[in-house]
Amino acid sequence: MSEDPAQALAAVVPPELRELLRGRQLVLTRPVGGPHAGRHASTRAGLGDQFRGHIPYTPGDDPRRIDWRAVARRDRLVLRQTDSEDALATVLLIDASGGMAYGTGPGNKQRHAAAIAGAIAHLALRQGDRVGFACGRDGALELAQLRPHGGAPRLAALAQALLREPTGTCPWPALIAAAAPALPRRSLVLLFSDLLDPDPADPDSDARLLHDLAALRSRGHDVVLVQVLHRDELQFPWSGRDLWRFEDPRGAREPREGHAPSLRAAYLERLGAHLSRLEHGCADAGLHLHRCVSDQPLTAALLGLLARLAGRPQPAEARP
Amino acid sequence: MSLLAPLMLLGLLGLGLPLLAHLRGREEPKRVRFAGLRFLGASDEVVTQRRRVRDGLLLLLRLALLLLLVLALTRPVSTGDARVAVLGEPHDAVLLLDASFSMNLARDGVSLRSASEDTAAAILEALPPGSRVGLVTTDPGGPRRELGADPERVRAAIAEWVAAAPRAGAWTLESGLPRAVALLRQAGEGQPGAAGRRVVYAIGDFTGRGLASLPPTAAADIPVLPVAASGRLDDPPPVPEHMSLESASWVPAREIDPRAVRISGAVRRHGGAGERGLAVLLRVDGEVAARVEVVAPADGLAAFEFTHIGAGVGPTPASVELAELADDPLPGDEARHLWLTGEDNVEVAIVNGDPSEMRAHDEVYFLATALAASASARRLRIHSLAPDQLAARLRDGDRLADVDVLVLANLRAPAEDIAPALRERVAAGMGLWISVGDRVEAGAYNERLGELLPLLLREPLVVGTAPGRSEAHSEGVAPPDLTHPIFLGLQGELGLLGTRTRRVFLLEPDPSRGAEVALSFTSGAPALISRPFGRGRVALLTTSIDRDWSDLPLRPGFVPLAERVLSWLDTGHPGAAAGQIVAGEPRRIAADGPVTVHTPDGRELVLPPEARR
Repeated sequence: MSEDPAQALAAVVPPELRELLRGRQLVLTRPVGGPHAGRHASTRAGLGDQFRGHIPYTPGDDPRRIDWRAVARRDRLVLRQTDSEDALATVLLIDASGGMAYGTGPGNKQRHAAAIAGAIAHLALRQGDRVGFACGRDGALELAQLRPHGGAPRLAALAQALLREPTGTCPWPALIAAAAPALPRRSLVLLFSDLLDPDPADPDSDARLLHDLAALRSRGHDVVLVQVLHRDELQFPWSGRDLWRFEDPRGAREPREGHAPSLRAAYLERLGAHLSRLEHGCADAGLHLHRCVSDQPLTAALLGLLARLAGRPQPAEARP
Repeated sequence: MSLLAPLMLLGLLGLGLPLLAHLRGREEPKRVRFAGLRFLGASDEVVTQRRRVRDGLLLLLRLALLLLLVLALTRPVSTGDARVAVLGEPHDAVLLLDASFSMNLARDGVSLRSASEDTAAAILEALPPGSRVGLVTTDPGGPRRELGADPERVRAAIAEWVAAAPRAGAWTLESGLPRAVALLRQAGEGQPGAAGRRVVYAIGDFTGRGLASLPPTAAADIPVLPVAASGRLDDPPPVPEHMSLESASWVPAREIDPRAVRISGAVRRHGGAGERGLAVLLRVDGEVAARVEVVAPADGLAAFEFTHIGAGVGPTPASVELAELADDPLPGDEARHLWLTGEDNVEVAIVNGDPSEMRAHDEVYFLATALAASASARRLRIHSLAPDQLAARLRDGDRLADVDVLVLANLRAPAEDIAPALRERVAAGMGLWISVGDRVEAGAYNERLGELLPLLLREPLVVGTAPGRSEAHSEGVAPPDLTHPIFLGLQGELGLLGTRTRRVFLLEPDPSRGAEVALSFTSGAPALISRPFGRGRVALLTTSIDRDWSDLPLRPGFVPLAERVLSWLDTGHPGAAAGQIVAGEPRRIAADGPVTVHTPDGRELVLPPEARR
């Protein structure tokens, strides 16, 4: 893998998506906060373009900041204050479990997720934001790049991680627990996963995941769950008289055998209930859930995600 | 109903395979690695193995298809007649009829030839509609019909052929197959679309030249279906008892009389039980000359021999016949016809190594003149050959079969490449008389004909130059050795006394060669020396037969000498003569292309190379 960020990006982000990124920005609805200057409106006052208000002059303040027109109106010395513009800390938590390996060609879930993650990271790094990421792969955590950092090497490292074959399980509780202390204030946390089976060992894993994420949200981070699904997982297309053997790509569950027609109805029912629970859970906890299907255009998926982050309505084609 | 390929029924074992697959076959599931496995509840139906026959209809269909395939591969044939098996589907057929002599064998008064007409008719009747049929016989002049849909053509041709008199010279059924195949191929080319199954129905008897000669297939895609002209293939009927004259040949019997011939042969008895006596007649010139009784064992041979003296001058017609066999089931093989000649001509070929335009100087003038004056001149036929003519004849593959005695007169030496043929011919019975002269090259002779020379040649010697004999200028000829076969029965003087020989050829002494000196010079040196070689004889005259080295040819004794030498050299072996061939005896003829045979009735048979016998 090349260290050249452009080449690294090209490996995970397809050309049409790179074309789309030209001139776009990662914009959040709410202010960010952090020690580094950036482009995002901050919660604190500082150097920026956005007028924040007037504060009384106290000796020692920089006289150049006195708003003389306001002084004339108010007959006392006031200073013009603007919002600071800070850099956004974006942390990508990536599910690299075997379940993400499903699908062939551009419809591969991991490939889809990687393209979106790569595009987001590229946007963020390009506008001076800082990006960190962590993966859960084969039951282990990859935390080396978790602390957000700017610069091209980070993009190359991300591309490298995204190109690796997903396998095994992703230990979500441990990943979130490890990530939480390392998050700077008011970070943007993006989870890339299918969210179908967060922890095969725990029957209550969905609720626990939502709980952990809600805890992050409560600390002021924006949490976005990018759920990447395959069309087969949504529709269960198998039919006919053939005998099928369904195996767990994570290797954690016992395989199931049977004829597709006899399995389909129950599967769809359970899946529907699961997705519905997830949606409600996210809504309740103030988490953003962005669902995309891997056979949909990447551009639509990315535009939808950017719109959701910016608080705009999602384009119609971005909805699964 | 019978099957052309019954072994294919083993394919029925294959029926077990689908059955087993349907009974025992575990359906191999298709594998999917599926992330949503969690939502496939354990309460869903999980099937791991089939315990009963599934897809019954499919199984039946598979079994039926396999059964049909196997049955088709066995090539079932329908049997309209109990004896006749015919392919059940429309096809191209050629009837190949055995026209050999043995088909004239009568069983219960009906010859196999007539029975084959009924058999052919049964086949024609049993042929499924849409078939085409053609006809070929093993008689080279027999009827031949192209393939056609109308069997009546073939039926009529067979009836006509059966009604005609049997002819000799038929091929074996196997040799007739190529003609049948050619007929089928020819028809197939004309109608490429109709090229379906093709079968040759070979109708014949059970003899070695009949059905027993047949291969299982005529060509890669054309099976041969043997059909017995009479009886069943799997149960051949016993051969009715009949007698045949197996062989009859004659050789001259000179030891008895110059005009005596010895006629020998054998009678074969086919079938029967116990011993049976019968008479064999020798008929010469239409008159019964002799009769002999022989006893033939069941299925065996009985030999006979006649000695006949007094066959007239020139060829005399004779026949050997089995007497009192009016009711023999196979008529026509009870007699053999021969031409007897008591006096066998002696063909003498003289190779002149030193020819001259002046007759008196010619090498063989004196010999030819002497022989013409001899008592046996009538039976001597003398030809003169140049050395290159001799070589050309031998190189052309002529084995000098018509030459009884070859005289090499002052020949330098036979060419190297013809020497083996000469040796072979002498070993087979030809006589060889070598006389020397100026041109003879001893080394070449020794190298090429040394194997058969009585003694190896050394060098010519001028008489009187030998150490210790310088005073003599010529040699005389000593009286002949009367114990030598050449001079057997000689009365009185030969007439060679006073011969003066100036030059002689010296010879290498070698007792192991078994040479006999018939005539010697007064010095003791051999003048005429002889030796048997194989079935032939060789004589070597150590001086010339013209006047170059000796005045021998001028002596009165030269005529009887030449006559006796030639008589002795002529072994009279039948194989040495042009060869007497009895009808029915195999005769091998070397030729490259097809051979045209002119038969006595004026027909011309062109024999393909493989059928030349």
